[in-house]
Amino acid sequence: MKNKLTLKIIAILISTDFLETFAQFCFKKSVIGESGFQIFNFIDALAFAKIAVTSPFLWVGLLSVLAIFIIWSTVLSKIDLSVAVPVCSFSYILVPLTSVIFFHEKVTPLRWTGITVVLLGVILVTLSSKETQRA
Amino acid sequence: MNMIFILMLIVLTSICDTTSQMCLKFSINSLKINVDGIKKAFLFVLMLLRIPRVWVGFFFSTLSLFIWLFVLSKADLSFAFSVDSMHYIFIAFASGVILKEKVDLQRWMGTLLIVVGIIIVTLS
Repeated sequence: MKNKLTLKIIAILISTDFLETFAQFCFKKSVIGESGFQIFNFIDALAFAKIAVTSPFLWVGLLSVLAIFIIWSTVLSKIDLSVAVPVCSFSYILVPLTSVIFFHEKVTPLRWTGITVVLLGVILVTLSSKETQRA
Repeated sequence: MNMIFILMLIVLTSICDTTSQMCLKFSINSLKINVDGIKKAFLFVLMLLRIPRVWVGFFFSTLSLFIWLFVLSKADLSFAFSVDSMHYIFIAFASGVILKEKVDLQRWMGTLLIVVGIIIVTLS
């Protein structure tokens, strides 16, 4: 039952990666335009918190964090932590790839090397979980 | 001197992050439940939230986030990310020692390759 790392689980793990990025984007967006905001005392901090709390982006971000927690817990109930965490590093491959495909950014040969090394690592970790499953 | 301080903070966020994952995974293992289907998943999460250890995990995760935000405001982004990649090593080590997962040579090699790859990607 344990250590069953299926393609479905890998896809779910990658989707939490995207959700995580989305949450960060929402948090950033909820306080954007307030970059000149200076916090000197407790009253300032409260005012800053009020701006963040009244922004719908903050709540969408928090909702994403909740969703991530539910998905992540469910995944961890099925596979090892030492497999789940490395597989999440897939975003180091996906983000540069999407920037190449959608934004036509140039990726240096050194960066391609790094991406390939990460990919090899993810493959090794994934295969190691299959071995334990068989044993 | 300042550089060493930042370096220690990054190590600290990695340790906090690893601790929070340990708390969560340890609690999940203790429930011994087979989660299939959305309804069971919600029930499962509700059960998790009743375990104090999970909240200790939340605390460390929040702490890690605050230290990380502080680091990002001081250090170079690519430097911070490449040093932070060592948390994969912490996770592999702690999973083996604390959670008794079988981290074999192949899994270690894979984890180390990921760390090396991330360092190359972030520094390039």
